[in-house]
Amino acid sequence: MWRATGTRTSHCSSHLRVFTHHSRKRCRYSTSASKPDEYDVVIVGGGPAGLALASALGSKQALRETLRIALVEASDLSKVHDWSTSPNTFSNRVSSLTNVSQAFLRDIGAWNEVDRERTAPIEEMQVWDGISDARISFSASEIGLEHSEKGMARLTENLNLQRGLLRLLHKIQGVHIVDKSKVHSITSTGPGTWPLVHLDNNQTLKARLLVGADGLNSPVRTFAQISSFGWAYDTQGVVATMHHPPRSVFENPNTTAYQRFLPTGPIAFLPLSPTMSSLVWSTKTPIAAALKACEPSVLARMINAAFRLPEVSLQYLYNRILESQSLGKLITDSEMRDEIRWREQSHAVDPNSAYSSSAFDAPPTTPGIPPSDSQMIPPLVTSLQNGSVASFPLRFNHTEAYIGEGKGARTVLVGDAAHTIHPMAGQGLNLGLGDVECLARCIEDAVVSGGDVGSYTALLPYTQERYFANHKVMTACDKLHKLYSFTAEPIVWARSMGLEVVNEFDSVKAALMMTAGSNPRMHRSSTNINGGVSRTVFDVAAAGLQKVDAANSAVRAIRSGILGFAAGGLQAIAKAASDAREKDANKMD
Amino acid sequence: MTMVPSRVLLGSSTVNASEIAHFSRLSAQWWDERGEFSFLHSMNPIRMQFIRQKFAETTLDESETKIDSTKTGVLMGLDVLDVGCGGGLLSESLARLGARVLGIDASESNIAIAKHHASLDSTLNSNLSYKHTSAEVLLNRPKRFDVVCSMEVLEHVDNPTAFLSTCAELIKPSGHLFLSTISRTPLAYLLTIFLAEKALRKVTEGTHTYSKYIKPSELIEYFREYRSLDNSRPWISRISGDLPTRTEAEVRGLVYNPLQSNWILAPRGAWGATDCNYLFWVRKPGPVQ
Ligand SMILES: Cc1cc2nc3c(=O)[nH]c(=O)nc-3n(C[C@H](O)[C@H](O)[C@H](O)COP(=O)(O)OP(=O)(O)OC[C@H]3O[C@@H](n4cnc5c(N)ncnc54)[C@H](O)[C@@H]3O)c2cc1C
Ligand SMILES: C[S@@+](CC[C@H](N)C(=O)[O-])C[C@H]1O[C@@H](n2cnc3c(N)ncnc32)[C@H](O)[C@@H]1O
Repeated sequence: MWRATGTRTSHCSSHLRVFTHHSRKRCRYSTSASKPDEYDVVIVGGGPAGLALASALGSKQALRETLRIALVEASDLSKVHDWSTSPNTFSNRVSSLTNVSQAFLRDIGAWNEVDRERTAPIEEMQVWDGISDARISFSASEIGLEHSEKGMARLTENLNLQRGLLRLLHKIQGVHIVDKSKVHSITSTGPGTWPLVHLDNNQTLKARLLVGADGLNSPVRTFAQISSFGWAYDTQGVVATMHHPPRSVFENPNTTAYQRFLPTGPIAFLPLSPTMSSLVWSTKTPIAAALKACEPSVLARMINAAFRLPEVSLQYLYNRILESQSLGKLITDSEMRDEIRWREQSHAVDPNSAYSSSAFDAPPTTPGIPPSDSQMIPPLVTSLQNGSVASFPLRFNHTEAYIGEGKGARTVLVGDAAHTIHPMAGQGLNLGLGDVECLARCIEDAVVSGGDVGSYTALLPYTQERYFANHKVMTACDKLHKLYSFTAEPIVWARSMGLEVVNEFDSVKAALMMTAGSNPRMHRSSTNINGGVSRTVFDVAAAGLQKVDAANSAVRAIRSGILGFAAGGLQAIAKAASDAREKDANKMD
Repeated sequence: MTMVPSRVLLGSSTVNASEIAHFSRLSAQWWDERGEFSFLHSMNPIRMQFIRQKFAETTLDESETKIDSTKTGVLMGLDVLDVGCGGGLLSESLARLGARVLGIDASESNIAIAKHHASLDSTLNSNLSYKHTSAEVLLNRPKRFDVVCSMEVLEHVDNPTAFLSTCAELIKPSGHLFLSTISRTPLAYLLTIFLAEKALRKVTEGTHTYSKYIKPSELIEYFREYRSLDNSRPWISRISGDLPTRTEAEVRGLVYNPLQSNWILAPRGAWGATDCNYLFWVRKPGPVQ
């Protein structure tokens, strides 16, 4: 697709320009400068979702030979394609890919292109309540995963995945990649016509089907006038790559993911290698900003504390940091060391227990037998990888539809463009890959039956399969987030009771398994005409959460005599909690 | 947009003037996938699936070469006539799979819509054409087709037996006839007339006439009797149970699934599945050896 103008030749000569020289296609489309270039599928966005869709379509011969496919990305994808880094450093954007996501990537030939050495399995999960310490733990074998030896999910750097997808695209040569080109506007010339995608380099692409894989602020979504509903959580996700000593021979290897539900949000420790792990710490926006401003060693101490100290001490430490920052100076490493030491003493933490952070300053010289509670919490973080600390806002966002209609016809959304989710379940990317797998299947179904891939008829099965599946996971995570953001006594009590009571229920385990992003029994529904109704783990999970609710209702029912709780859903707990607080306040005056 | 069907076609014995006026009035809505013709849109993938499957099957039976019905070129190079093509829903799909398609319809405004819609897709123009004419008129021309399709038309024509024989005569020896229509059963009345037109008003009232519905058994009976002008063999020579031999003809029920607003192609011989909408395929006997 060489442009006559020649002003962007550097653009076209990038090694990522991949062409298909398919004679049938060439005669079907003209590429004169005055006419827009016609494509059957134009994907906007070269993030994980867009690249995966391009790969999925390009990997199917029937599609590669019949469809002209383009992918537009604003940034320079050669940087992703050429990304390389030493085995001892990890990108801070890491996602846990479920077995289902892995199977999909394997199917399209992308998993082979991902550097497996840089990925790590999650074999076990430890999830506990920051206030009551009620705990659930489970392993891949326990929940009956088909291949439990592979773990529940694999932690993979987003860049490792994206690079793998680009390598695959480079090999299959079926997708025209237009990077370093921003979508400037999208227009339509009338009902039934194909959308025109105008790029900032004056190129115009005409799309039979326009796919928005363009993230949270999706320009495709704006064009299609698809509204979305959602809310910001007033919470940021702080990410970092952490160094720590390896587990000893007496312990399990570093393949356990840890997540502690603090009232400010969950903090997660996700293993990457024997001595490195990834942090995702969701916390209130001001706390996140303060943590990010800290010296790396202070942040490392805070991370250790957040997995170990009681909530009251954490509150104290946050305040200390916030206070000193408001006075214009940062808390020093030694100040923080003393604060934490003092806190540990006041809680009578045994210096030999795993809950003590004393080893941070005095690492043991000889590896001895680890304390008996060492696997209840992650290894002690010793330092953070340089420049790996970052944060991002957390949102709940779900569009009202995945396919555009009327003026916005011939558009479809995948990935973050359609939904953004709280990261506690590590599902963001997996949902996006689920979208992509399904959309690629629907496009293939349409193509083999002579359908128009941009038509409502071709896209309807995609919405039907994905919308509620995504919605279920999203609301489950949202509920879990809200359930855990209350510190009021009765709620914590109900919550811990809930956790303990529900510990009995396998389905709740499944619900929390979502946290690890695994997916025991979900199978890909094949291209069958009935749409292959598959009961996914998410159904189980959602059912499980209802049981959490139910358990809480039961607990509430018992206590209602004392506290006068109203019956009802989660809102009722919340309301009861604020009522209780009000009552206390009234008592005071 | 109301157009009285033009004079030529009124001479065609199977064209019912009020039917054609009815479809002409609705013609602007052909490509509104959620509107008046949504049922036909959602039926299209399954009709195409049936056509592809039959081609894969007959190729396997004849040459013992397995062709993949999921490949896109299954109809490559075949001459296909789509009788009563309406807005061209099926014609476009057939053309995308590589067939050379001629779509005809008794309504001039339907043909105008079909042409306009195809013009929006530059990949279609080389092997898809439309003509405002009737099957009877084509019979006077020498051209014959590998495949004749007529979907959801039979229940709208006058003199269906004449219509069937015209379609049959337009087919080359060993060629295929694909029909879809509605059976004359209380269930069909309930679903297609009472519910769709009167109660739910999904389809404009007057679209269907119960007495024009035709049962699968009547089609089978017709093709047991029917002889082509150039060949004395019947199209359906054997019946076992109530079903024709798989290599000669086939009836498959189409069942609407309101939960997913899609259609399901019922398995061969599924009990009761052909009591409402169904697909019918029959093959013209090959040349006499
Ligand atoms: C800063 C940040 C950190 C995150 N960290 C984690 C994490 O640690 N773990 C986790 O599980 N999830 C994390 N997430 C979420 C996760 O990254 C997303 O779920 C995932 O990236 C979604 O992929 P996507 O391809 O749908 O969208 P994105 O990755 O957002 O990709 C969208 C692409 O579209 C391109 N684009 C947008 N507009 C235009 C335009 N006008 N023209 C051309 N191109 C355009 C963008 O350049 C971008 O490449 C994080 C998200 C963010 C924003
Ligand atoms: C229900 S529509 C079906 C359209 C199309 N076959 C489809 O299934 O999408 C019936 C069509 O048949 C046309 N028609 C009815 N009688 C006809 C006849 N005798 N000859 C040609 N077309 C006819 C009508 O004009 C109308 O467009």
